Amino acid sequence: MRPSSRDSHRRSPTPAEIDEELRAHLDRRMEALKAQGFTEEAARRTALDQFGDVEATRQYCVAQHQRKEQRMRRQQLLSGLGQDVSVSVRALCRVPLLALTIVATVGVGIGATTVMFAAADAAIFRPLPYQNPGELFRIFTDSPPYRWRFSVADYLALDQQQTAFSRVAGYTDRAMAYSDGRTAERLRVRLVSAGYFDVLRIQPLTGRTFAPEDDRGGASPTAVLSYEFWKQRFGLDPSIVGKVVRLDGTPYTVLGVMPADPGPLERGVDAFVAARWTTPQRRGPFLITALGRLAPGTPRAAAEAQLREIDRRIFPLWQSSYQDKRATWGMLDLKRQIAGDFPGTVAVVAAVVAFVWLIACVNASTLLLARIAGRRRELAMRTALGASRARVLRHLLMESAVLAMAASAFGAGLAWIGIRLVRTLAVDYVPRAAEMTLGGRTLGVLLIGTALSVAVFGLIPALAGTRGSLDDTLRDSGRSATHSRRGRHVGAALVAAQFAVATPMLILTLLLTTTLHRLERVTLGFDTQGVLTAGITLPSASYGTSGQAIAFWTELRKRLLEVPGIVAVAFADSRPPDDAGNQNNFELQDAPVTAGQSQPVTTWVAVTPEYFPLIGAHPIEGRLLEDRDTEDDASPVIVVDAAWAKRFFPGQSAIGKHLHDGGCSRCPWTTVVGVVPVVKYDGLSAPDQGIVYSPMGGAERSRFLIVRSSGNDAAALQAVRGVLRGLNPGIPLANPGTIDELVSDSLQRPAGLSALASGFGVVALILSIVGIYSLMANHVHQHRKEIGIRIALGGRPAGVLGLFVARGTWLVGVGVALGVIAALNVSRLAKALLFGVSATDPATYGGVAAALLVLAAIACAIPALKVIRTSPAVVLRQE
Amino acid sequence: MAGDGLTLLQGTLDLMILGVLARGPSHGYGIAEQVRETTTGELNVQDGALYQALHRLERQGLVDAEWGASDNNRRARYYSLTPKGRRRVRDQAAEWHRYARAIATLLKGV
Repeated sequence: MRPSSRDSHRRSPTPAEIDEELRAHLDRRMEALKAQGFTEEAARRTALDQFGDVEATRQYCVAQHQRKEQRMRRQQLLSGLGQDVSVSVRALCRVPLLALTIVATVGVGIGATTVMFAAADAAIFRPLPYQNPGELFRIFTDSPPYRWRFSVADYLALDQQQTAFSRVAGYTDRAMAYSDGRTAERLRVRLVSAGYFDVLRIQPLTGRTFAPEDDRGGASPTAVLSYEFWKQRFGLDPSIVGKVVRLDGTPYTVLGVMPADPGPLERGVDAFVAARWTTPQRRGPFLITALGRLAPGTPRAAAEAQLREIDRRIFPLWQSSYQDKRATWGMLDLKRQIAGDFPGTVAVVAAVVAFVWLIACVNASTLLLARIAGRRRELAMRTALGASRARVLRHLLMESAVLAMAASAFGAGLAWIGIRLVRTLAVDYVPRAAEMTLGGRTLGVLLIGTALSVAVFGLIPALAGTRGSLDDTLRDSGRSATHSRRGRHVGAALVAAQFAVATPMLILTLLLTTTLHRLERVTLGFDTQGVLTAGITLPSASYGTSGQAIAFWTELRKRLLEVPGIVAVAFADSRPPDDAGNQNNFELQDAPVTAGQSQPVTTWVAVTPEYFPLIGAHPIEGRLLEDRDTEDDASPVIVVDAAWAKRFFPGQSAIGKHLHDGGCSRCPWTTVVGVVPVVKYDGLSAPDQGIVYSPMGGAERSRFLIVRSSGNDAAALQAVRGVLRGLNPGIPLANPGTIDELVSDSLQRPAGLSALASGFGVVALILSIVGIYSLMANHVHQHRKEIGIRIALGGRPAGVLGLFVARGTWLVGVGVALGVIAALNVSRLAKALLFGVSATDPATYGGVAAALLVLAAIACAIPALKVIRTSPAVVLRQE
Repeated sequence: MAGDGLTLLQGTLDLMILGVLARGPSHGYGIAEQVRETTTGELNVQDGALYQALHRLERQGLVDAEWGASDNNRRARYYSLTPKGRRRVRDQAAEWHRYARAIATLLKGV
C-alpha cells in the first residue's frame, strides 16, 4: 500500500512518532541480521553500530520539526493579522464618515501635540548646542524682581577677580550702519570681550577669533563676520580674512568667519567686534550680558559665593554712582536664560492641544462604542459559535488600531508641516526653533500618542462591548445594544469626560481672547493717526563730535518740515508701544533710600521739546519741556507722567520735587517741572509704573525719528527716506513703521495664541456637543416605547421632554463641574499670558459653564422632540 | 564495516536520498538498503545520519512523510518527494553529471 502524498502541508511528527520510526528501523535491521545467522546480542550490537548515535539523531530530528512548527505558527499569525487588518479596513470603508471624523480629529490632536512637544523639546529639554553646555551660566546683578545686566566696571572686575569660572565673557548688542559706499544697511553687531568664543567653545570656519590683544583699549578695530553676512555681502569670498569692513564709518579688519550654523545665542547677529572696554568713570550704564563657563570640579554654590564676594568688594568703589545695596550678583543656567518665559507659554499651548487630542480620542471612543453596540448581536453570535472573547476583542481592537495608525500617519504629516511652519514663521517667539526636529524624543511622543489613542478609543469600547452575559444579549430583541447597562454607563462616563476636558479648554480660550480684546482696547495715550517712526544711528566716524551730530539732526528736521504733508518732527530715544530706552534708578530728595533698600527704578524717555506737541500732550500740571532745557548750562529738569506723580507723590503735587538721577549723590538736583498724561512705552500689557521724560540734547548719535503727517503714511515714509538719502546716503533707516503698525506687531503673540486656542476650542466644543447628542439620540431611541406610553396615557409633552433633557443635562453638568475644577488649576499656568482679566474670572467660568449646559440641553432636546412629535400609536406599533 | 568506505562530500547524502526517492516513495529502512545496494557498499552511510537528513529534508519541504503499512505489515513512515524536491533532484543531478564528466575528462589517463 502506497501512501498518498496529496496533502503537502502535513502535520509534523511528534517525538513519540520519531521514536517509533527509529525503533522500527533498528528492529528490522536486527531481524535481517538474525536471518543471516547473527545471535540476538550480536545483531543488536551490529545494528546499533551501523546506526550511530541514536539519542543525538533523535534529538536532531525533533529539533528540525520544532523549527518548522515555529515558522508556520509565525506565518499563520502574520497572515491572520493581515487578514484582520484587511477586514477592518473594509469594514471602516463602509462607514467613511465615522472613520474620517476619527482620523481627522485624533490626527490633528496628535499632530499639534507633537509640534508643541518639539518646541518644548528644543527650548527646554535639549541641551544647548555648545560643548559641555551644563557649565555655561549667565551672570547678572540680582535685585529681585529684576535681573540687571552688568556695566563695564562690573564686567572688568568679574574678569579680573573671579577664579570659579574657567573663562568669563561679556557682550552687548548694538545696531551699526554698514555701508559699501553705494547702499547702507543696519547690522546687528555684537560687541564681545575676547573670551566670548572661548566660553562658548566656538571655532571659526576660517581665520581666527579675538585674542586678548585685540580686546585691549586702544587696539585697532577688528571683526568676526557671521556666515550669513559673509555669504550675502561677500559671496563667500575666500580671501575675506584681512579685508576691511566699514561699520558706523570706522574700518574694522576682518579676522575670521563664524560657522554656518550659529548657536541660539548668536542667531541673527551679523558681525562680532572686539569690545575693547576700558575702566569707566562711573559704574553704569548696565548694558553688558556676562557669561561664564564654570571651571570643572567647581561646585555651583562656590561660584555663587564668589560672585557675591566680588560684588561686596567692589561696592564701595562705586558708591557715589550706585547705591543699591540690596542687589547682589547671581547666576542662572544659560539654557534657562535662553528659554526665557517660553516654558510657561508652551505649557499652556501644549495643555490646550493635548486636551483636543484627548477629547478627540474620547469622542472616537464614544463613536466606536455606539458602533460596537450596534453590532453586539453579531458579536454575541460569533462568541456563541465558538470565537473566544480574546478573538472578538482582537477583531475590535484591530479596527481601533487601524484608525489610530491612520490618525497617527495624518498627525505625523501635520507635525512635519507644523514644525517647518514654526521654524520659518515663529522663530521670534520660539527660542531655539531652529533646533526643532521630528525625530528622537519627538518621534517617541508621537508613537506614545498613537499607543495611548489605541488604548483610549480601542480598549475601552472593545472591553465594554464584549463584556456582559451572552444570553442577555441574544435574548434581547436586538433593537438596541446600549441597552446593556454597562455599555450605557461607559458611554455616559465618556460624554461626561469630554465635557470635563472641553470646559477648561473653552475657559482658557475665552481668557486668552479676552486678553487680546483688552490689549486691543488699551490706548497708547495719544492720537496715533499719521504718526510714523524709524530709528536712525549716525556713524561715529563722521559724526564724532556733538557739533556734527547736532548739525545733522537740526538739518534733518528742517528738511523734513519742508516736505508737504509732514506737519511735525521730533526725536526721542524711545517710542510707543514697547521700545523703552532706559530703566533708570534715582533717589528722591523727600524719600532718601536707607541702607538695605533699593532705589526706585522707572523708565526714562529722552525727548526733544517738539515731542509733546507732536503727540498732542498737554500738561496736566506745570509746563512741558522747552528748548532752553536742552542747553548745556541749563539746570536739570524733567517732566513726569501722571502715573509717576501718583506713585511717588500720591495726594500731592509732584511739581518742584527734586531727585538725583542715577543715584548720583554729588550731582545737582533734578527738578520735576511738569506732569503729562500717561503714554505706554513698556508694552501694552505692562502696568503704568511711571515714566520720566528728560530733555534730549543733541549729541546722541542714535535716535528715533518721530514724524506726524497729514497725508498718506507710505508717501510720508518715502519722503523721509528721500530726505535722509539726500543728507547722507550711508545712513540706514531702522525698523520704520507707523505707531499703529508697531501696536499690531506687539499684539502678534497674544493674537496668535488666541487664534490657536479658539481653533482648538471650537473643535473641542463641536466634538463634545456631538458626543452628548449621539448619546441622547441612542437613549431616546431605546426609550421611545416609554415615551409613547407616557404620551398615550396623557403625559404632557413638555413634561416628558423635560425628563429627558434633565437626564442628559445632569450628565453634562457633572462633566462641566469637574472641568471647572480642572480649569482653576490649569489657568494658573496661563497667568503670565493674561492681561486685564483674572485667571479665575467668575464671569468667564460662569459663562462657559452656562453656555455648555444650554448647548447640551438643546442637543438633548432635539432627539427627544423627534420621538415626542411622532404619534404614540406609530411608536408602539413598531415593537 | 565502519571506517573503510568512501567519505561523503558535503550535501551528497541529501542528493543520494532525493535520488532514491525519485524512483518512488520509500521508508527509511528501504532507503538505507537501496543506498547500500546501489553503491555496493562503497559508501559508508550511518543510519542515524540518514534519518537526520530525512527529517532535515522534511523540514525544508523537499520530502513529505506519511505513516503506512510496510511490506511485512508493520507501520512505517513512507517518504516521497514533494514537487519542490522533484525539481531539486533534477537540477542537482544535472549539475552532478556535468561536474563528474568534467572531473573524469580532466583525470583521463592519470
